Amino acid sequence: MTTLLQQLLREHRAELLADWLKSLHAPWEHPTPQDGTHHEPNQRLHALFEDILTALERPPSDRFELDALDPLAKHLRQLVADQARRGAGSSETIGLMLSLKRLISKRLIEQSPSDSSGDLLWLEQVFEQLTLLAFAAFLDIREHLITQQSLSLLELSTPVLRLWHRILLLPLVGVIDTGRARQITESLLEAIARHEARVTILDLTGVPVLDTSVAQHLMKTIDAARLLGTRVVMTGISPEGAQTLTKLGIRFADVISRATLRAGIAEALLMVGQRITSIEDGRP
Amino acid sequence: MKDRLLDEPFASGLVDGRVRVLVGVEQDVMSACRQARQLAETLRFSRTAAYHIATAASELAANLLIHAGGGLLQASALLNPTLDGETLGLELLAEDQGPGIADLALALTEGYSTGHGLGCGLPGVKRLMDEFGIESRPGVGTRIRAVKWL
Ligand SMILES: Nc1ncnc2c1ncn2[C@@H]1O[C@H](COP(=O)(O)OP(=O)(O)O)[C@@H](O)[C@H]1O
Ligand SMILES: [Mg+2]
Repeated sequence: MTTLLQQLLREHRAELLADWLKSLHAPWEHPTPQDGTHHEPNQRLHALFEDILTALERPPSDRFELDALDPLAKHLRQLVADQARRGAGSSETIGLMLSLKRLISKRLIEQSPSDSSGDLLWLEQVFEQLTLLAFAAFLDIREHLITQQSLSLLELSTPVLRLWHRILLLPLVGVIDTGRARQITESLLEAIARHEARVTILDLTGVPVLDTSVAQHLMKTIDAARLLGTRVVMTGISPEGAQTLTKLGIRFADVISRATLRAGIAEALLMVGQRITSIEDGRP
Repeated sequence: MKDRLLDEPFASGLVDGRVRVLVGVEQDVMSACRQARQLAETLRFSRTAAYHIATAASELAANLLIHAGGGLLQASALLNPTLDGETLGLELLAEDQGPGIADLALALTEGYSTGHGLGCGLPGVKRLMDEFGIESRPGVGTRIRAVKWL
């Protein structure tokens, strides 16, 4: 048996699509026109439209369920992702679905005001699920974008700190790529020369992963520092990091390593002939 | 024409227990590393195992960039098809259409590098992960698969 809704969707597909696209103004009419991607959002909308209609054409049931891998779910997530990247709110995708729902139910009621209630309920069901899905997708994507952005902010500056007479501290925070490694080495060498540093503490607590490329960058920095007559104490390698370096077969030759920054500082002071004691202990 | 964009949920990102990163610049290597670690943590690998996985992902992605001029790195959950989708492990897959590796044994030798690297990447990945396999055809490309069981 064909329901009224199924019949309507089949007979008025083209008009529905045209009406729907027309009803979506502002953001879709001016999407980054300078690079010729003008048609892309529309392509996505066409695909979404077809998916939604396919879902609506299923035999009505009490519950509309959508598999996470269903093309409809996938396309909806893509659309939400695009909008989230452009900084649009979740209301945009949701608004665009509600607009389609309004168009369909209006036609349905016009065609048969008396016995469209079953179809309307089904319509309600489907769009309710789609709205929930879009909202969940929006939250996921926002969270994802925010973590990525805050991580790149962390990767910015590298201060070299003068910790004590002739002792420098270089706390490394964030990812170390080639550009940053060069900048770190440069500012460290400059500071070593300026402060006539004898010891440099390289604190790796904030480095997320030690792989062979980071290790190689560090080795170069350490070698350069040594050439200027400073000794290097490495601190803050986590137990996981240490184990991984071992598995990679990497050894930092002739580098003193201490688990914590505190132990590293004590070691550095010892090297320049200083010692931190409590006032009591220091008394003769 | 089928619209290819629609088939790819994201150019990169975490979707349905899977991470895909197109590696083309150095930033992508970091991103692959970060996302592989995130996936491992989501799948409840221990801190150490997640660190190992992240490092392996980073090594494979760096090799794609340096030795193959780019490629695709994927990390995915391996699910048990019989039980209710319980997670069994995590698979890393690195694929490229680069020059290939002529001598696999040599490439896996500690300290061997055709570039300016330490030559510890591939043997390291093999030790960091539980399973490791390379297929490579000179002039065609390379495909490396590594698995860590949960
Ligand atoms: N995807 C790849 N395509 C071609 N050659 C590769 C690839 N990955 C690794 N190799 C080869 O294997 C060698 C060893 O790799 P690896 O152990 O990571 O050391 P490194 O990257 O430091 O050179 C590389 O120098 C390179 O010759
Ligand atoms: Mg390598």
